[in-house]
Amino acid sequence: MAQVAVLKRGRRRMLIAVPLLACLAASGCLFAPREAEPPETGTIVRYLEQIAPVNTWDNLETSAEATHAPGWEAAISSLSFMYEPDPVAENQFPGVFTGWNRDKELAFINALYNAKVTIVAQMRNPAFVVPPSSGSESLWEDVIYDLTVTSTVDASKVRYRGLADIKFTLEANFWYISEWHDRQGESDPDSGQLLSTMGVLRGSFASK
Amino acid sequence: MLVAAQSRGNLRCRTVGCARRLGWPALLVLLLAAFAGAAPAQDDEEGAPADSTSGLSALQQARSQVAAGAFPDDGRFFLGLTQEPKAGIRANVQKYTWFGQSTTTALFRSSAQAVGTLEWSWDRYRKQQKTVDSRKGGLTYNFGKQIPLVTTIDGSWNWSEDRTTNTAGYANLFKVDNKLVNLTSSQQKFQALGLMNSVRLGANYNDQAGLNQNQRSEFREGTVQGGVQSGWAMSPGVIVAGRLSGTATGGTRLLADLSSPSSAHGDSVGVGVYFNRGIGTGSIAMTRSSFEKKYLEFRRNANGLVDTVGLDDADKVVTELETRDALSLDLRHAFRIGDFGGTLAASHTTDDQAVATGVAGLKQRAQDSADMTLTYASGRDSLVAFGKVGESWDDQRIKAATASRGRQFVRRREFQFNWYRTLFKATKMNLQYHEELTQDVAENRFNENDKDRLQADFAAKVERAWADRFRTNMVFSFRQTRDISIRGSASSNNNQKDSYELVPGFSWNLAPWITLDQNYRLYIQYTDYLYSYLPTVTRKDDYNKRGDLVTKIVLVPNQRLRFTVRHDSNRRFNATKSVEDAAGSSFYHRDLEQDISKIRLDMVYTVTPGVTFECGTYRTRDDKTSIGRTDSVTRTDSGEIVVGTRVDKTWGVKKDIEVSAMVKKINAYGPSVTASSADFWEADVWLKWLF
Repeated sequence: MAQVAVLKRGRRRMLIAVPLLACLAASGCLFAPREAEPPETGTIVRYLEQIAPVNTWDNLETSAEATHAPGWEAAISSLSFMYEPDPVAENQFPGVFTGWNRDKELAFINALYNAKVTIVAQMRNPAFVVPPSSGSESLWEDVIYDLTVTSTVDASKVRYRGLADIKFTLEANFWYISEWHDRQGESDPDSGQLLSTMGVLRGSFASK
Repeated sequence: MLVAAQSRGNLRCRTVGCARRLGWPALLVLLLAAFAGAAPAQDDEEGAPADSTSGLSALQQARSQVAAGAFPDDGRFFLGLTQEPKAGIRANVQKYTWFGQSTTTALFRSSAQAVGTLEWSWDRYRKQQKTVDSRKGGLTYNFGKQIPLVTTIDGSWNWSEDRTTNTAGYANLFKVDNKLVNLTSSQQKFQALGLMNSVRLGANYNDQAGLNQNQRSEFREGTVQGGVQSGWAMSPGVIVAGRLSGTATGGTRLLADLSSPSSAHGDSVGVGVYFNRGIGTGSIAMTRSSFEKKYLEFRRNANGLVDTVGLDDADKVVTELETRDALSLDLRHAFRIGDFGGTLAASHTTDDQAVATGVAGLKQRAQDSADMTLTYASGRDSLVAFGKVGESWDDQRIKAATASRGRQFVRRREFQFNWYRTLFKATKMNLQYHEELTQDVAENRFNENDKDRLQADFAAKVERAWADRFRTNMVFSFRQTRDISIRGSASSNNNQKDSYELVPGFSWNLAPWITLDQNYRLYIQYTDYLYSYLPTVTRKDDYNKRGDLVTKIVLVPNQRLRFTVRHDSNRRFNATKSVEDAAGSSFYHRDLEQDISKIRLDMVYTVTPGVTFECGTYRTRDDKTSIGRTDSVTRTDSGEIVVGTRVDKTWGVKKDIEVSAMVKKINAYGPSVTASSADFWEADVWLKWLF
């Protein structure tokens, strides 16, 4: 009886060890990333360490102007992220923003950057006074961002300008964007025309 | 095919004609007529149970009244009527809201119900120059068992005016006025022609007028839709099922000042085999669907973004013809053999979308995925292995282009293994290993955004319940993340992050009236920039450490009083790599030290049943030292105090009158607290009367 028990125990250990060893062996080839090209001179994308909310927010501008998605992805919280559109964008794309989380935000930014566009961005208006970061949460109210998206296919330019509230959260050692509330579209400083928020930009890519 | 197209066209014409001739008021009359027509209907004992899609809470309440005997189903046609007016006010840091609503529920013989709702609300925003006036109305009639089909007819009206003045002084009126009448009827699982069948029919009429930036956007459209599903049991445990559905919409649309007919029609065909035999349970299904839609649209650019800047009004709007074809194949299987079990799922979908007028042209998408889970449970061990592979792509051919843009691929591979084991009595262990690779690939390098992200993590958790009053747990985790941009134009920030985390903690019920919880968390992350050795790359390797200690004490001296005290203390360091010696040892320069201490006190006191007094406060002190040639030290303090009351009271034998009130006064201070957030009320107060 004791021998049978020992055999059963041995078989059970094999059943545990085999898949563990198999996955470790397989991970080397199945999960090997590609070799990268060394950085080209003159194309260095310079991000700031996300040790303050202002660095995290300004990295969005760097990411947009370089159409470099990893920079935007790094600024979005992986624990909890929500986006709330302004009512006009929500009405224009009903249902699209329900449960807008990190995955949807990343899908949007990759789709935008992959769509043959160039972007000129100013993620905070010069008059905005950056509140000093403190504690583990920081709320920015009334920040005005401005993006101009130019299609390299037909050279058309579409400008987005919105007033937003942004909540930053300190996770481990770095600040991430955990909430983005678009409140209203702002006027084009040059023409005075009312412009859409990034909710319309997000909705356009998420709904098609 | 031609006959089918003609009949579909006739159907659309009839719908459009009906909508045009009758309009919204006539359809409302139809709705009321249908409601009235239900009165002489014969009681059908074989009818299906009632179903509803709107006014659900009121209907549920009405049903509960029947169940409670408030309206006995004694053969009379009209069983009873309830009115439920409600009014209140809400306030928070963002806005004040005044609201009122009324719900009327009428119960009829054979489980038939009618629910009418009227709602009004008015919002005034604290931080913006903005008001929103909203009015809604609705009427739902559920035929219950009065007719053989499960049938619901409902009408709704939604009206709102949003007046916003932005920071530049531009005042905009955003207005929506929508009226909808909807009829759905279905019969589930009935036998006919040797098959098990289900049928669903529906029709609606939608009338919407909108205004934004002085541009009108209106439509009046009617839709009819139907679907049938039939199943055939070809052998024990094997069913072959087919599905067919179609929809047709017709009406008119107005955009800016241009009016045009609109139409849409679509169909969907599906077939599937479902089995439940010795090999397990599963299904294989295929669905093909398509639709064609003609409508007015603002002119869009190649990316599908509205682009009307600089155009004359006549050129801003175009008549668009959109077509879409989709195909999906699904395979699902679940099995169990002895101690082993597993699931397998695989799918293939394609989706082609084309616009005839817009520059965006043709967009194509496809997705393939397969995932498998294997489980094994025996004795004290339980193993779960999960694997997933998938590939999706999208492509676009711009209007008038001779070639497609190129496929944008996203490839994913994922593996996860969990081992659960009971180590000793009341001691459990969970080991998890997870690895995931995501790759973005642009075909023919049509962009420079190729990138890979590899994430591997391992976590071990041990929990022990020493006694009923004392529990401990310990978590250790390691995570490695590699973010790699493939192209030289974007690879300067390629990095590898190694994170280590150790979290011991305990929960101790010292006495029935006091509980102590404490958790410590140590977190270290090393970032290695893969090209930091190049002089042109300014990124330097770094590490970040953080320690958190969270202590929480809950005191419950008696049933009416509850105190919670929580203290968060955390300390962190950031350091940047300065040099690496010949032996490969790295030296780091500490450049930031931060201590954050937060204490929070909360108290809840039950004054009388249904009335509680609540208060809470916290204070945070944040000391930060930036280390450089000259150290800079900053200290910031922030805090908040909340005092409030909650009341939940009812009066009357049947709780006819109900009052709910939550009122809190919030005062806050700190570096990121603005004037409007420093002093405000939070409230949710309402009165409801049921008669």
